[in-house]
Amino acid sequence: MNLDKLLETGDRCIHKEPPTCTAQCPVHLEIIDFLAEIEKGNFQNAYKLMEKKMPFHNIIGRICDHPCEAPCERSKAGGSIRISDLEKAVLEYGTYKPKKVWPLPKNKGKVAIIGGGLSGLTTAVDLDKKGYIVTIFEKTNQLGGRLWDFVGDSLTEAILQQELKAVVDKKMTIHFEETVDKSKLTELLTEYDAVYLGTANWAVPIEVNPVTFQVGNLALFVGGQLLNKTDSVILSASSGRRAAISIERFLSKVSLTDSRDREGIFETPLQFDISSKESLPPIEKSTGIYSQVEAIDEAKRCVKCQCRKCIEGCVHLRKFEMSPDAYIRQINHNERIILGTHYANKMINSCAECGLCKEECFLDISMNDVIHETRESMVARGKMPVSAHDFALKDMAFSNSSRFSLVRKQPSKEESKDLFYYPLISFSDYVKGLYKGTGKTEYLFYPGCQLPASYPDDIKSIYEYLVGHVKGDVGIYLGCCGAPADWAGQRGLMNENIEAIKKVWAEMDHPTFILACSSCIRIFEKYLPEIKVESLWDIYVREGLPNKDHIKIPQTLSIHDACGTRENSDLHESVRKIVAKLGYGIEELEYSKEKTKCCGYGGLVYYANREQCDAFVSERIDESEHDLLVYCAMCKDLFVSGGKRTYHLLDLIYPKDDGEAATRKMPTLSERHQNRSRVKRILLKEIWREEPMEIVLEDNFTLIIPEDVQRKIEDRYILIEDIQAVLKNAEENNERFCNPETEEYLARLRRDNVTFWVKYEKEAGSFLIKSVYSHRMEILEEDGNSGGTK
Amino acid sequence: MKHESNDQTKWLCDKCQRELELAKVKVRYMEGNFEVDLMKCPTCNQVFIDEVLALGKMKEVEEGLEDK
Repeated sequence: MNLDKLLETGDRCIHKEPPTCTAQCPVHLEIIDFLAEIEKGNFQNAYKLMEKKMPFHNIIGRICDHPCEAPCERSKAGGSIRISDLEKAVLEYGTYKPKKVWPLPKNKGKVAIIGGGLSGLTTAVDLDKKGYIVTIFEKTNQLGGRLWDFVGDSLTEAILQQELKAVVDKKMTIHFEETVDKSKLTELLTEYDAVYLGTANWAVPIEVNPVTFQVGNLALFVGGQLLNKTDSVILSASSGRRAAISIERFLSKVSLTDSRDREGIFETPLQFDISSKESLPPIEKSTGIYSQVEAIDEAKRCVKCQCRKCIEGCVHLRKFEMSPDAYIRQINHNERIILGTHYANKMINSCAECGLCKEECFLDISMNDVIHETRESMVARGKMPVSAHDFALKDMAFSNSSRFSLVRKQPSKEESKDLFYYPLISFSDYVKGLYKGTGKTEYLFYPGCQLPASYPDDIKSIYEYLVGHVKGDVGIYLGCCGAPADWAGQRGLMNENIEAIKKVWAEMDHPTFILACSSCIRIFEKYLPEIKVESLWDIYVREGLPNKDHIKIPQTLSIHDACGTRENSDLHESVRKIVAKLGYGIEELEYSKEKTKCCGYGGLVYYANREQCDAFVSERIDESEHDLLVYCAMCKDLFVSGGKRTYHLLDLIYPKDDGEAATRKMPTLSERHQNRSRVKRILLKEIWREEPMEIVLEDNFTLIIPEDVQRKIEDRYILIEDIQAVLKNAEENNERFCNPETEEYLARLRRDNVTFWVKYEKEAGSFLIKSVYSHRMEILEEDGNSGGTK
Repeated sequence: MKHESNDQTKWLCDKCQRELELAKVKVRYMEGNFEVDLMKCPTCNQVFIDEVLALGKMKEVEEGLEDK
């Protein structure tokens, strides 16, 4: 993994960038913090923030020309925050007696300041504080320059005098009524280590470096109105402060230009979308200055501009309190660490890889891609926790084993000819489709692994529909597309899987794949762009729905789009057309179509962090009062288990009479296996009329499983066949413990990389399961046995 | 990772009909090899792991090793 590139991506994130107000403030007052303190009524803390950043805050706070206000994002929703008025209020309510500061010994060099106005005084005070010997040359008989022009209601003469007296008290040398001209300047440049020119007028034009304010290579620095060419007081103060930084660097013989790109006014890269905020007009002052209550209310209008678009949309980022820049720093640390704990593993495996973050980001930063690459790197370095994805990968292996996997061409005309003579069947679209068979497979129906697991009875109906409706022969291909391997970062396994699919595709002479699962659609787009695919839902729209008169009770549904289909707008439209055609109303969710959210299964979060998965589920199901409509089997499974009435599109297209489809409990993990095998058996028997080979399963024992134990079985990712295998070994080899008091048995068996334990009681030929659990740690029994293997 | 639960004294090895005894047992996970005191059958060496141990301390150690 290229960590430098990763960090560059993190640096692009604008989450941590300053708001426009602070960027446009020449002295960078931290305005969000300032307003937040006011909002809490902490006027003194707000005052401290002014004191920290603003030179002569007691003066400037009263006369600032506030370039921060015009660009305020609030201006688009009611009016800019009245920052300037709030500064005045803070000076009124938050002032405290400044702490006595002990001056540093003055041994750092001699600096002459020409002009005792605002910029000159700022430079003088800043350098004096740092230990320079400062001398001020002022042409009039008083300090302050044009500050005296601002004396009025806000800046009173008394305040100005008090502030200027504080400067005089610092014991810098001040020469009053001393005009500095060109020749005097030359003199000062030889006499002093550096000179600051802060006078408003100068006889000849001077060329000044715009970053350092230095004149050529001289020890001369310029600020104030002469530099800024405006009468902005805050710019004057800012230029004086920046010149002081330059002078200090100059005299310390360090680079004058390093890391100065964000001094003064700068453009912040931050972008902020205020469209969702309610418009609020500014609070009006009832007197010349805000009352405390008014100030608090005005500060409350601040929207605290910070880019949180991805975080707001993502329950994973919120759960871990992470912005992309911080997340990337954690990944960087996790990747670099050699000895020690990889604390970020769990977080990295809790992302649904759904891609909403990129969709929301102004800059298209995709945490999905970052996290995916990280998982691949973890796998490649052997640092991926096995337990995170083990069950899902075993499930994938199951789907690609002979217990489910199947490839068949459409039954040939020759094989089907007996069907053509039965009058009723021969009128069916399916038989008509068979009759038109050419032997060339134009389409291959690939239902994926989870849809057959959840809807085993519909796969045959869908297949028959396809044969009867699409032009050309339709074959079938049962298996797993590899989505679990992709999510788990198992690139090697993923490539193997892709090659296997390509091989079938080539053997079938490059048919179009008909996909019904949104994860398959995503995987085919990502890894198999050369294969033409069509979604089952698009075909229903094009060819017409299979059944008539589906609707029982018309109702409004909210459509939850599957995250794998985010970029597939045609598919979103097809689904909506089907729902409308079936007679249902649609109310769109706030996050839908290209901005849909994940149900919580994506990225294998369901296996790696169940708590995170539950958070995805509950956030999504709370979004709508209406029943949800989904078209991914796992979305349905999770939403129903979260207590939300949810229909899968197939529930509506192939309605069943066995109860309420919206609340139907989805199959257990073991039933998902059994259902897939059943689909294969049904298809072989009823479509291809082959006798399926019987697969011997270790399910010889009759089990009684109480509901609480059933829940444990699911939560602990244990299969009934694991329990059966433990029991078989226990019964055949007596490898078990017994408890004479309770008449219970406890037996264990290691299968592959997991040891399964079953506590049971025997009851008249059947086995009452009391508990099941497992561990991955291997116990080395003294004879070298580790508890048996499958 | 020494473990003695209140419950296990009642359990016998069904094969050998022996009471379990606390003994040093080698356990292994990923790169980690440890010796811990666990209950086992003194004859056939079958080691007893109860639910609390498997889902508590053992899981914690497994997760710790996986994150190393």
